[in-house]
Amino acid sequence: MTRITFIEADGTTIEAMAKPGMSVMQVAVNAGIAAIAAECGGACACGTCHCYVAEDWADKITPAGEDEADMLDFVIDPTATSRLSCQIAVTPEMDGLVIHIPSSQT
Amino acid sequence: MHAPAFDPLSESFARNPYAAYAQLRDLTEPFYYADVDSWMLTKAADVEAVALNKTMLRSRDHLLSEADRKAEQRKMNWHDMPHHERFVQTNLLESEGETHARLRKLVFREFTAAMIARQRATIQAFVDHLLDELNACDTFDFVEDFAAHVPGHIIGRVIGVPDADCPQLRIWSEQVVRFFNVGCDDTDKQVAEQATKEFYEYLLTLVEARRKAPAEDLMSRMVEHRDAGRMTEDELVATTMLILMAGHGSTIDVLGSGMHALLRFPDQHQKLREDPGLINLAVQEMFRFESPLPYFHRFATEETEVGGRVFPAGTRFGLLYGAANRDPARFDNADRFDVTRSPNRHIAFGGGTHFCLGNHLARLDMDVIFTTLNQRFACIELVREPIYKPGLSVRGPVSLDIAVRRR
Repeated sequence: MTRITFIEADGTTIEAMAKPGMSVMQVAVNAGIAAIAAECGGACACGTCHCYVAEDWADKITPAGEDEADMLDFVIDPTATSRLSCQIAVTPEMDGLVIHIPSSQT
Repeated sequence: MHAPAFDPLSESFARNPYAAYAQLRDLTEPFYYADVDSWMLTKAADVEAVALNKTMLRSRDHLLSEADRKAEQRKMNWHDMPHHERFVQTNLLESEGETHARLRKLVFREFTAAMIARQRATIQAFVDHLLDELNACDTFDFVEDFAAHVPGHIIGRVIGVPDADCPQLRIWSEQVVRFFNVGCDDTDKQVAEQATKEFYEYLLTLVEARRKAPAEDLMSRMVEHRDAGRMTEDELVATTMLILMAGHGSTIDVLGSGMHALLRFPDQHQKLREDPGLINLAVQEMFRFESPLPYFHRFATEETEVGGRVFPAGTRFGLLYGAANRDPARFDNADRFDVTRSPNRHIAFGGGTHFCLGNHLARLDMDVIFTTLNQRFACIELVREPIYKPGLSVRGPVSLDIAVRRR
């Protein structure tokens, strides 16, 4: 199991355990994080599972593919570490990953 | 357990489809509905799994031989209607893979939350204008006198259709869309074909107008895409038609059923009045509670297990979003309308790559409308119980007579 820490916009911290192969979006949804709307369910088609990967983790996970990069052009308040959480597959190496959650996706 | 009687054209189904959906949901396996040769899925987990399964396709035309495609078309009675085949049976929604991704990308920008937010002032001005015109009325039909005018006007603005033409576009849209409901006949077919032809001829003149004089609208940008070879002229016409059709009916339906829900659950309406900041949650709950497009389909392209049964490639599944959104396994008190429900992971906008392109626009229309109604009217009451449209493909009241008291 891989431990992921989500920090919501108001500072609330939620720790969740993830199985390899799950997406970070699925882990967040299962943990009840409402601000990860993930409306399309993980098809890279809506841009509502936007998250910020903690800076010290940004270089350690597989970078965004072309479809994800296109979609990131449309999210609210993007930064250099913006990702779509549905496109990040959990691996054992991600144990301890920290993800910051935007206040809203729309 | 015996298969229950399932009659989506019946009066009782129009009155309360959720009782029938609950019966289907209680079956141990999906229900085969012979009328549309489909296995109906009603559990949220099954519907979501199929919507998100990349081997399940909305359209499989590109996988069929020409002869099989023609046979399939004839089975659905979608043959011998050249304009409908060219612009309605072939479009962004009915495409898959590279074509779908390319077309969706070309128009996605216009429908993002940030771009749609720019329409707020336009929507507000139009809603205020309509309500000013109704100022002398203490009772009116919320659907036909008010709600029906808003979505088409706003989507028309986004595309770049002159305001005066929007009512005609609504007529064509409804005539084309009606043909997709269960129980339609050859008369509906002729009407749908004629409407598509006229719609096409109208759009050709608009394309030419924008080519000569580009404006800040979606049509002008699509003409640019067309002239740069990123989409064909047929794709441009079909995409515009799809956006116009999708932008009309379903939002009108959910405005009507959403208003009805507020009147059926006055404690929830009161909560929204006391805290207008709940509007986003309230609108999402309206989509969950009375999903305006309750039925879509997918084809299996390989053998797949769904809902505890293995189905062969080629199986057609009915995704009953309206049933999934009332599944007690997913939603607490699923039959209760709750404007504070959060998270509210409904599937009214579909899922996967075909996820509703216009969801932000529909939600913004509703946000402005219900917020404005609550500001203007101290009291809104139901005059009589509405009758809902028959059938499986759409859900919304035909009319909704309300009495209002101004502040």
